Amino acid sequence: MAVDRTLLFKASVKTVKTRNKAIGIGFDSTKDEIFKRTRPKSGFSPKAKEVITNITKLKDFLLQHRKDYVSAGSLISSDLTRMTDSERDQIDQDAQIFMRTCSEAIKQLRNEAEKKVTSSQIKEHRGAVLDLIEMYLKGVCKLYSEQRAIRVKRMVDKKRLSRLAPEHHSQVEKTRAIEPTEEKAVKEESSEKSTSEVLDNTVEHLWEEGRVEDELSPEEIQMVCYLRQHCCHGTFHPFPFFLPVRQIEGKVVEISRLQEIFAEKVLQQETEIDSIHQLVVGATENVKEGNEDIREAIKNNAGFRVWILFFLVMCSFSLLFLDWYDS
Amino acid sequence: MAASVREKQTVALKRMLNFNAPPLKNTAAEPVWKVLIYDRFGQDIISPLLSVKELRDMGITLHLLLHSDRDPIPDVPAIYFVMPTEENIDRICQDLRNQLYESYYLNFISAISRSKLEDIASAALAANAVSQVTKVFDQYLNFITLEDDMFILCHQNKELISYHAINRPDIQDTDMDAIMDTIVDSLFCFFVTLGAVPIIRCPRGNAAEMVAVKLDKKLRENLRDARNSLFTGDSMAAGQFSFQRPLFVLADRNVDMATPLHHTWTYQALIHDVLDFHLNRVMMEEGAGAEPSPAGARPKKKSRKTYDLTAADKFWQKHKGSPFPEVAESVQEELDTYRAQEDEVKRLKSIMGLEGEDEGAISMLSDNTAKLTSAVSSLPELLEKKRLIDLHTNVATAVLDHIKSRKLDVYFEYEEKLMSKSTLDKSLLDIISDPDAGTPEDKMRLFLIYYITTQQAPTESDLEQYKKALLDAGCDLSPLTYIKQWKAFTKMASTPANYGNSGVKPMGLFSRVMNTGSQFVMEGVKNLVLKQHVSETESADWSSVTSQETDDYRYFDPKMLRGSESSIPRNKNPFQEAIVFVVGGGNYIEYQNLVDYTKSKQGKKVVYGCSELFNSAQFIKQVRAADCSDMMLL
Repeated sequence: MAVDRTLLFKASVKTVKTRNKAIGIGFDSTKDEIFKRTRPKSGFSPKAKEVITNITKLKDFLLQHRKDYVSAGSLISSDLTRMTDSERDQIDQDAQIFMRTCSEAIKQLRNEAEKKVTSSQIKEHRGAVLDLIEMYLKGVCKLYSEQRAIRVKRMVDKKRLSRLAPEHHSQVEKTRAIEPTEEKAVKEESSEKSTSEVLDNTVEHLWEEGRVEDELSPEEIQMVCYLRQHCCHGTFHPFPFFLPVRQIEGKVVEISRLQEIFAEKVLQQETEIDSIHQLVVGATENVKEGNEDIREAIKNNAGFRVWILFFLVMCSFSLLFLDWYDS
Repeated sequence: MAASVREKQTVALKRMLNFNAPPLKNTAAEPVWKVLIYDRFGQDIISPLLSVKELRDMGITLHLLLHSDRDPIPDVPAIYFVMPTEENIDRICQDLRNQLYESYYLNFISAISRSKLEDIASAALAANAVSQVTKVFDQYLNFITLEDDMFILCHQNKELISYHAINRPDIQDTDMDAIMDTIVDSLFCFFVTLGAVPIIRCPRGNAAEMVAVKLDKKLRENLRDARNSLFTGDSMAAGQFSFQRPLFVLADRNVDMATPLHHTWTYQALIHDVLDFHLNRVMMEEGAGAEPSPAGARPKKKSRKTYDLTAADKFWQKHKGSPFPEVAESVQEELDTYRAQEDEVKRLKSIMGLEGEDEGAISMLSDNTAKLTSAVSSLPELLEKKRLIDLHTNVATAVLDHIKSRKLDVYFEYEEKLMSKSTLDKSLLDIISDPDAGTPEDKMRLFLIYYITTQQAPTESDLEQYKKALLDAGCDLSPLTYIKQWKAFTKMASTPANYGNSGVKPMGLFSRVMNTGSQFVMEGVKNLVLKQHVSETESADWSSVTSQETDDYRYFDPKMLRGSESSIPRNKNPFQEAIVFVVGGGNYIEYQNLVDYTKSKQGKKVVYGCSELFNSAQFIKQVRAADCSDMMLL
């Protein structure tokens, strides 16, 4: 349990002030304070704070319109609270653009901070601050992607329920739909870096599924007409068609979740692979230099030996010469 | 108390780190960054409770020592968590003058005096930084919590309040006062954090009594000052301490000298005895060691590895009190389950690879999809588990090496027999003169335990024989002289309720629970049976709980208006919580015994505390020092 001593501290400050006045020590406190006010406005920290305020604005915006966005839109509710799809698209687009600008700003700040390096402590501090901001941005992006996922799921549901397609047909279409979109998404991810954009991709992948469904509808509409002709005599049991449809829904949702996880992991590994690549390059350089040094050392060794040999031969020749000269 | 001491201290720390405001539950809150500055005391308090990752999550970007070189970071609030000593205050004033940070939140680990506060005030005025000093708090957190129910007083400067410092013969009254003040201050902080005023019991005539008297006085003064009392804050649940007050039992180390010397057999105690274990952190050297290095190459460097054994480590929490063979078995089991799970995941991978191209395999795909999702999401858990298994395997292997080389199992068994007065199958002399059973220190410990626990003193000739054998084995005999005096002293002061001889009296407390040892990789090590050994401190605790036979113990109740010296224990409802504190040092063996004992009693909670934590080697060093400084009493 902590005890607040701030008031006591302020009282001690006053005591000390009066004591100092009594002794006669004065301070030009006012001037210095005015000087202090003119702190640099464009430092690292104000910019970082700006980014945070922007992200908070985005979060508030999303939360504010969340209810309307997510509302099921029953027929009974009034038109005022319902959002049209175009409005929802607008919100999505705006949010995406915003998130992209925020992540750009963070990257920029990071580069700046790297350049203006003054001391290691400040560097570490700024790195940690940027990490915190990034995590905050991720949290807000998650909000957005959850919303989006709910909306897309609902749309997919609606489309399925409104269609009376046979299971086999939709299954086949489903596989064909899943594979190309997954490949496309994976390819796109391998060329992008920022997390928010990956999240956008995941969401876009879900969205594209919906669009693929639209393209298939003309064929399926034919099937629907055919079925309606056959089934309008007796009671029409939609049940046997709905069960596999639900299964497929479940599978699709799971696959999308998996894909999100994979995308995240792949991105993490990408940064690690980059750093490993750098290290390997450095290591090969070092090994090359080492080889060069060894070669030189061998050469020097050989050269040294040659000189020694030469010296000995010269000495022996000189001895022989002296001997011959003497005799 | 619903929350344990550790949780309370963690909550207090987290609040402090949140600028002393209660932390919000909002998960997507705006990040606020800060810098944490601590001294060594603060570091010791924070490190067992919060990891660096948790600090980062709370917005702490840098954590630095107070007396290191720090660069100015002019737009960041700084949180200080230091002891109010002279040097720290000077350094803080220096920081204020150098304008290192934007705003300062000063938190003092124990209460700061008025004069030091004025020092800071004058420095702040001189530096025109008064507005920057935003808050000044007294945190009252001057103790270190190691486990949910175990705490020690301090780790830095522990020589000041060590066993040696309290019991050395040339101690002055002023020194003793200073030591007592430190201990009482920490205990007071402990009770403030706990939020309860205890009832204090202590034996007569030793250091524990002095501590109890002072603590009682301090608590009483604080309670009397109703305006500023620390125990009536509205942050505490009102009915929390009015129903149940904990019982605080003080004990002195001199009551039981055999337990710190005892060889142990439980996992945590073994790690503390054999490896370098401080503040829940094990430091080991790992390296090739035995291999001869090839000529011309640099010798392989031994890397020092440190492992943190934290509350989040489930294996550790489950097995820290188990006997060692059980631990070895459990590690093996965990390894097997981990391998099985890993194989599952690998199998899934191959299945997915095969069936990805198959057109009509959607139905099978769905099951596997679910399995894959669960596998992928459980992957981080699996990796964490692997890390823990590696950690424990390394630690257990190191401990096992020590056990094998020093034959600690033999010692353990023998000492158990000595302490429980059962028949000995091997004579003491044999073990002492056995050249490859343990270090000279082990032999010295064994002999000291024998000496302490025998009923009648060995005859002179026997003693000479033993001494000669010990000298041959290379032991230093100075601890023996100290123990001799101690024994003489406790015999002199013996009264009917004395605890010097309570090893003999059963009091119905010796319960023997046989746990059979296991067959695991301990080739060559005997499979030992572990009996639950109830030490004297426990018997003290139990008897005070039921208030038998401790009428001789003094009784203090700080809430009573009259500060009377009445030693009549009020017959209240039996206590549900007890805090046992050993003045002069404790160790993990006693802690483990208390934990086992508490498990057997339903509904009672016991917290163990000691002024410092030492293992046998350190204890012998202190005893030796206590003896060397004493020339006169011989």
